[in-house]
This record gives sequence, structure tokens and C-alpha cells, in this order.
Amino acid sequence: MELKTVELQPKIQVKKSRKLSLKHRRNLLRWGISYTLLTLLAVVTIMPFLWTVSTSLKGQNETIFSYPPNFIPENLTFENFVTVWNTLNLPLYLWNSVVLSFWGVLLPLFFCSLAAFPLARMNFKGKNLVFMTILATMMIPGEVTMIPVYLTISKLGLIGTYSGVILPGVVSAFAIFLMRQAFIAIPKELDESAIIDGANAWQIWWHILLPMVKPMLATLAILKFIGAWNNFLWPLLILEDSSMYPLTVGLYELKGTFVSNTRLIAAGALIALIPILIVFIAFQSYFIKSAYSSAVKG
Amino acid sequence: MYKARTAWLFLIPTGVLLLTFSIIPAIAALGLSFTNYNVFQPIEWVGIENFSRAFSDEDFWNALWNTFYYWILVTPALIVIPVFLAILVNQQLMGIKVYRLIFYFPALVSVVVTAILWTWMFKSDGLFNAALHSVGINPVDWLTDKFTAMPSLAIVTVWQGLGYYMLFYLAGLQSVSKDLYEAAELDGAGFWAKHIYITFPSLKPIIFFVTVISTMSAFKEFTLMLTMTAGGPIGSTTTLVYMIFEKAFTDLEMGYASAVSTILFVIILILTLINKRALDTTQQ
Repeated sequence: MELKTVELQPKIQVKKSRKLSLKHRRNLLRWGISYTLLTLLAVVTIMPFLWTVSTSLKGQNETIFSYPPNFIPENLTFENFVTVWNTLNLPLYLWNSVVLSFWGVLLPLFFCSLAAFPLARMNFKGKNLVFMTILATMMIPGEVTMIPVYLTISKLGLIGTYSGVILPGVVSAFAIFLMRQAFIAIPKELDESAIIDGANAWQIWWHILLPMVKPMLATLAILKFIGAWNNFLWPLLILEDSSMYPLTVGLYELKGTFVSNTRLIAAGALIALIPILIVFIAFQSYFIKSAYSSAVKG
Repeated sequence: MYKARTAWLFLIPTGVLLLTFSIIPAIAALGLSFTNYNVFQPIEWVGIENFSRAFSDEDFWNALWNTFYYWILVTPALIVIPVFLAILVNQQLMGIKVYRLIFYFPALVSVVVTAILWTWMFKSDGLFNAALHSVGINPVDWLTDKFTAMPSLAIVTVWQGLGYYMLFYLAGLQSVSKDLYEAAELDGAGFWAKHIYITFPSLKPIIFFVTVISTMSAFKEFTLMLTMTAGGPIGSTTTLVYMIFEKAFTDLEMGYASAVSTILFVIILILTLINKRALDTTQQ
């Protein structure tokens, strides 16, 4: 009897550890497959960027297109960046993009939260009608109204001005909707006590409510920044003087004028990418959040 | 608590902008469809002439076909692949956040930069052909061949959109209760069974959302066509919006272009309604 139990004990242990190692091995396999797939997909995703970086660092005598492709430049040089920076007035394009993006973020934030305030916190006749009308405009694609909006800008004498580029994008139903959702979440008692303390509606909006919806404002700011920074069609249509072009339009011109010089275009494209990459890395959690909140309306 | 007058004061600035740049233009677009407005001559009412012209215009049918073709190439891929990508990045793995950021990044790159990067990928001696060469396939002139131009643009769109739609699915996956999976595991469900019976059904609203959004954006996309192929070769990447753009701003035929816009709007509206109906019936 005693001998038997002694014999049994190690047997059970062996069985147990074998089971564990099986589970362990299955996990390892899962990790292996996952990482292989993830890395493969990541390489495919960043391949165009890698290739651009490599091209922009290649000297004038090096071949760009070759088989097999050559990713590592033989003579590493930053000359292309210097050339493109000096000859193409990229600093000016960059500055124009900054100006357009600044107003393209600030004005929508201001006006959309202004309109969202009464829709979220006041009761008045016609409120539902106003809100439904705003939501209905979400159904109208900008591409459909492109022609009348262009004609309006032209009638207002705003062709060739930054106002003409910025104004059509200031108010969007989606931004009003997001801000309204943020305001609704704040308890109503706050407004009541502020009114008793003698605050007016403007003060309540500016001093009390807006500071409380900062996360939503940041999210919206990110969304608007991506849109404004990458805006291409409106500046192309509205602006006439090339010294007012933002980077996107400047780069489009560059693509035309430097068709043959791939290295310079690569350098220019990377310079255009850097600001959005910096903003993206600095505010990555907001980027993810902004994508999530876009899904809210579905 | 608040006076009604105050509410309207807050709404006026936004209301003016919304009327000027959205509501009135929408009505004007419809109105212009029935005129022969061409910037130089005074506007004249021509009834349904623009519409009957569109339906007998070969270019219009070509653009309509190209739009549907692009949609069919792009939308199914953007509905299905991101689901698996989201399942992949929803695992608890070291550095998974970095992978998520990498996949999402292309969505932030402007169309012009995207066009520049991918034009090189598709060159006859570019990376794409180099990769094909290594598996023994002859090089193709992707963007200048009328059969490969549109599929090439679709590849770019999918590359740019995968990470974007992945995030929506990821949000959906993270709201699925873990208990469901544990219960299924106890019942002996494997990887596929778990996803077929739990993941996909609970992602249904997101799938609907992605279907609508990717459909809308497929029907509206044209900057890629403008910057990568300029509608060519031989009109093979001229979509409806590209045609509207060209007719309005190159040929200055604003009336005819508005009629095509109106048709596009009706198509988008119908597709959205179909999508919604499909969801309503599957949810009942």
C-alpha cells in the first residue's frame, strides 16, 4: 500500500507538468503566429515610407529603381533635403499650412460648441426642428455641393483668400453633434447655481462648460487638424497665388515640376509627413479616441 | 432657466454658416441641374435636358461603371480584412500598441503624399513589380494600363483604410463581455467557433457602420484619381465625382455637372437606405 502511493505521487506530477507544458507550447505557437503575421503586415504597411526615406537619402548618381530593390543608400546624403528646402520655398508652404490649420481647428471648435450649447442645455420652441435640420445636413456629401459652394465663395469675393478656403469647413453637423453629446453629460444643476450667482449664458458657456469638455475639444481638434492639414481640393480650387499654397498643393505642383527628380520629391514628401507624424506621436491616445467617437454616430 | 432669445443668439452664427455653405448649396445644386449655367452666359432654365443628356452620354455611363467598380473592389475588403486585423491586435501581446499605431498611421497621410509614395510602388521598375519578379511574374505598368489602373487605386485605398476601420472593430471587440468567451471555452469551443458564434454577431452594428462609411467614401473618392492617374488611362479611372470636377472646373459646364451631382446624391441615398434596411432585417 505504502509503496503504491509513493509510486503514484510522481506519476501525477509528471502528468500535470506535461499538461502545463502543452498549454505553454500552444501559447508559444499562438504568439509565434501572431507576431509573424503582425510583423509581416506592419512591414507591408510601412514599406512605401521606408522606400521613400531610402530614396530621399540617395545621392544623384545612385540608381533608385533596381532589381532587387536597394534599400540602403551607398552614399548617404542629406543634400536632397537641402536642395528641396532651398529651391521650393518649402518653409513658406509649411507656414501656410500652419496658418490654414490653426484657423481650420480654432474656428470649428468655437462655432460648433457655440451651437451645441443651446441644443444640449436649453429648452426653446423649434429646438427639435433645428437639431434635426443640422443632422440632416450630414446626409449631404460635400462633393455634391462643391459647385454651389465654389460659386458662393466667388460671389463673396473670397477667391484667392484663406477665408475662402477655411469658411466652408467651419461648421459641420458632426462636430455640433459630438459637442452636444459632451455638454449633455454635465449635470444641469451647474447652470442653475451659476445663474443664481449672477452669471449670464455666455459666462456659463465660456467659464464653466467649455473647461469641462476639454477632452472632447481635444478629440475634435485632432480630427479637424488632420482634415485641415491634409486639405487639398479647396486650396487647389480657391487659391490662385502659389505663394499662398499649403504643403499639399505645393507638393502637387512639385510632383509636376520635378517629375524626373525622384529624390527631391521623396525629400519633399517626407518634409510634409514630419509635422503630422510628430502630432500623431504626441497625441496618439487622442487619435484613437477620436476614431472611436466617430463611430458613435453609427 | 434660459430665455429662448439667448438660445437663438448662440445659434445664429453657426446657422448662418450652415445655411451659406451647406443647406442653400444643396438646394442650389438641385436647382442648377435644371439650367445650362456655364459661368459666361446668363442662366437659362433647360428642364430635364441635363439629365437626358447624362443618360445618353457614354462618358457618364463609363464614370458610373468605374464608380461601382471601384466600390466593389474596395468596400468588401475594407469590411472583412479589418475584422481579422482587429482580432489580431486585440490580443495581450508585448508592443501591441506600436503595431496598432503602425496600422493606423497611413490613414493620416494626405492624399498627395500617398499618391507620391504609391506612384513609385507601381512604376514598371518599382517595388511592386520587383516583388512579382521574385515569384516569376512579368512586370506590369500598373497605373498606365487600363485594366490595372483601377485595381491599383483600390490597393492604395485598402492600404490606407485598413488601420482606420480596424480601430472601429477594435472598439467593438473590447466591449464584448469576456465571460462569453470563457463560457464558450468551457464548452470546448475552439478559435473559429468562438469567433463565429460570439465575435461576428456582436460586431454586427460596427460592420453596418463600416459598410455605410466605406460605401460613402468609395462613392466620393476622387482625389486619388486626380493625383495618381488624372482619370486615365483612357478614362478608366474617371469616376462620377471626377467627372463632376472635370465638367465643372475644366469645361465650366456647371449645369451639367450639377445634374451628375444630383444623380450621385440619389445613388448614395439609395445605397444608405439599402444598407439600413439590411441591418434592420438582420437584427430582427
